[in-house]
Amino acid sequence: MPRILTRENAIRWAPFLVLLALVILFTAINPSFLSQRNFARIAIAAAPALMVAVGVTFIIVMGSIDLSMEGVISLTAVLFCFLVLALGGTLASGGWIAIPVILVAGAAIGLVNGLIHVRLKIPSFMASLALGFVGTGAAILLTGGNIVKFDDPTFRALLTWRILGFPLMVYVAGMCLVLAWFIQAHTRLGRHFYAVGGGEELAHASGVRVRQVRLAGFSLAGFFYAIAAILQVAKIGQAESVTGSNFMFMSITSVVVGGVALWGGIGGVWNTLVGVLIVAVINNGMVVIGLPDFLQAAVLGLLVIIAVILSTDRRSVAFVK
Amino acid sequence: MDIQRLKPHLPWITLLVLVAIVGIADPSFLKPANLLSLAGDIVPLFIMALGLTFAIYIGGIDLSAQSMANMITVVASVYLAPLGIWVAALCILAGFTLGTLSGYLTTRMYVPSFISTLAVGGICFSVAQWLSGNRALNMDATQRNETFGWMIGRTGIVPHELFIALGLLAICLIIERRTTLGRALKAVGAGELAAAASGLNVARYKILAFAISGGLAAVAGLLFSVKLSGGAPTIANGFLLPAIVAVLVGGTPLTGGVGGVLNTAIGTLIVAVIRASMLYFGIAATQQQMVFGLVLIVAIALTIDRSKLRTVK
Repeated sequence: MPRILTRENAIRWAPFLVLLALVILFTAINPSFLSQRNFARIAIAAAPALMVAVGVTFIIVMGSIDLSMEGVISLTAVLFCFLVLALGGTLASGGWIAIPVILVAGAAIGLVNGLIHVRLKIPSFMASLALGFVGTGAAILLTGGNIVKFDDPTFRALLTWRILGFPLMVYVAGMCLVLAWFIQAHTRLGRHFYAVGGGEELAHASGVRVRQVRLAGFSLAGFFYAIAAILQVAKIGQAESVTGSNFMFMSITSVVVGGVALWGGIGGVWNTLVGVLIVAVINNGMVVIGLPDFLQAAVLGLLVIIAVILSTDRRSVAFVK
Repeated sequence: MDIQRLKPHLPWITLLVLVAIVGIADPSFLKPANLLSLAGDIVPLFIMALGLTFAIYIGGIDLSAQSMANMITVVASVYLAPLGIWVAALCILAGFTLGTLSGYLTTRMYVPSFISTLAVGGICFSVAQWLSGNRALNMDATQRNETFGWMIGRTGIVPHELFIALGLLAICLIIERRTTLGRALKAVGAGELAAAASGLNVARYKILAFAISGGLAAVAGLLFSVKLSGGAPTIANGFLLPAIVAVLVGGTPLTGGVGGVLNTAIGTLIVAVIRASMLYFGIAATQQQMVFGLVLIVAIALTIDRSKLRTVK
C-alpha cells in the first residue's frame, strides 16, 4: 500500500488545504465573507494578478526568476491606452487592433528580457529587475506622470457585463489559464520548461535547446503580463506609470505559496491558481474581518518566507545566495 | 595592455572621463563649491550603497534597503520627540535587527536573498504604514536642529554630510581591509564552498553582512529624514536602483568577491555625475530611471564573473 502521508503529497495538497482553511476561518469570523457578491470581488481582484502569476510561473518552473512585471505592465497598459486613443477611442472604431498589438509588444519586451539574460549571461533576477526599471521609466516618460484613459462602454464590459454574477474579465482570465495549462501540459515547449528547471545540464545533454527555451519562456511571460495590463486597465479604468505597482511582490508570493518551487521543475499553473486565490482571499478576508490594510505587505512577506522554507528540501541544497 | 589588467581601473577612469565631458560642456560644473554640494546631496544614497556593497560582496543582494530607509524616516519622525538623540540608536538597531533577520532566513532557512530581503522589505513597509498612519510626517523643526542640526550644516563650502560619509567609509574600509570579518567576507564572496570547507563559519559572516547592510540602510534613512525634516512610507522610493547601480559601476560584481567599499564610493560619484550631467544636457528627471536601468544592465554585463556561474539562472 502506498504511503499517503509522504512529503510529496503534503507539498502537493498543502496549498489547497490552506485555501480551504482560510475560507472557513474568514467565514467563521464574518459569515458575509461567504457570499456570491464577495466572491465576485475576490475574483475581480485576482484576475489580473492571476495573469501576472501565470506568466512568471513558466519562468520559475525553469528555475529562473522574473522581476520585471511591474515595469512591463505599466508600460504595456500605458501603450494600450495611447493606442486605443489613437485608433478612435473605442474598440468598435478600430481600437480593437490595439489588443493584439499590445500582446505582441508584451511578448517583445519579454524577449528583450530573455536576450539580456541569455546572451549577456546576466542572472535573470537582476536582468529582469533592471529591465523593469527601464519599463517604469519608459511609462513615466510617455505619460509625463499623467493618467491616460479612454471611455468605451464596450471595453468596460470586461468589468460591467456579468455572467452568473462574475464579470467578463474573470472568464477571460479563466480562458487564458486554460491556454497556459495547455502550453504547460500538451506542448513540447511546456515539457522543455520542466526539463530545463529539473536540471539544465541534463536537459542540454539530452538535446533540449536551452537558450531557445529560455527566450520562449520570457516571451510567453511578457505576453501574459500584457494580458494582465489590459485586464488591469479594464478593472481600474485608466493607466499610469504606477499601474503595475505591487504586482511583483504579489505575483511571486502567489506562485511560491501555491507550491511552485523556486528551484525549478516543480509545480505548474494550477498551483499558481491556488496561490493567487490564497493571496486574494487573505487580502479580501483581512478587510472583511476588519483588520487594517497596512498589514498586507507584512502578511505577504511572512507567507512567502514560510512557503519557501516549507517547500525547500534542505538535504538537497548546498548553499544559497 | 590587455583588458583584464585595465578592468580594476575602469571605474575611476570612467569617473574622470565623465567629469571632463561635463566640465568641458559646462565649465561652471567644475567649481569646487558645485562639486562639493553635488557630493553632499548624494550622501544618503552613498550610505545605502555602502551597506548594499556588503550584501553584494558575498554574492547576495539586499532588495529591502529602500523599504528599510522608508521605514526609518517614519521611525525617526515619530520617535524624535520622546527619545531625542537616542532615536538614532533605535533606528540603527532596527535596521541591524531586520538585516539579521534577512541574513538568518537566507543562510539558515535557505531562502534566496532576493526573496528574503523582498519579504523583509514588505514587513518594513507595513511597519512604516502602521506607524505613520499612511501620512507624511514632519519633525519639529527646532528639535531637529538641536538634535541633528550638525548633520546637515556647512563648514565653509563643505557640507557636513560629507564628513559623515567619509567617517562611515573609513569604518567600512577598516572592516573590509583590517578585520577578520573583512577577510572572511572576501573568502565567502570568492568561493563559498571553499570557505566552508576551510572551516569558516560561513553562515555567521553572511548574516553579519546582511545585518551591516540593514544597519547602513537605516543610517541612510535617518540622514534622509533629517535632511527633509520628516518621513513617509514611500519617501525614499527611487533609491534602490541608483544604489545598486552605484555598487556595480564601482566594480563590485554581482558575483561578489572583488571590489569593495572604496569602489562603491567611486560608483556613487559616477551616479552623481551622471545625474548632474543629465540635467546639464537637458534630459528631464523623468527620463533618469530609464537611463539608470540601461546603465545597470551594461554595468552588470561588464563586471560579472561568468566563470563563477556554471549555469546562469
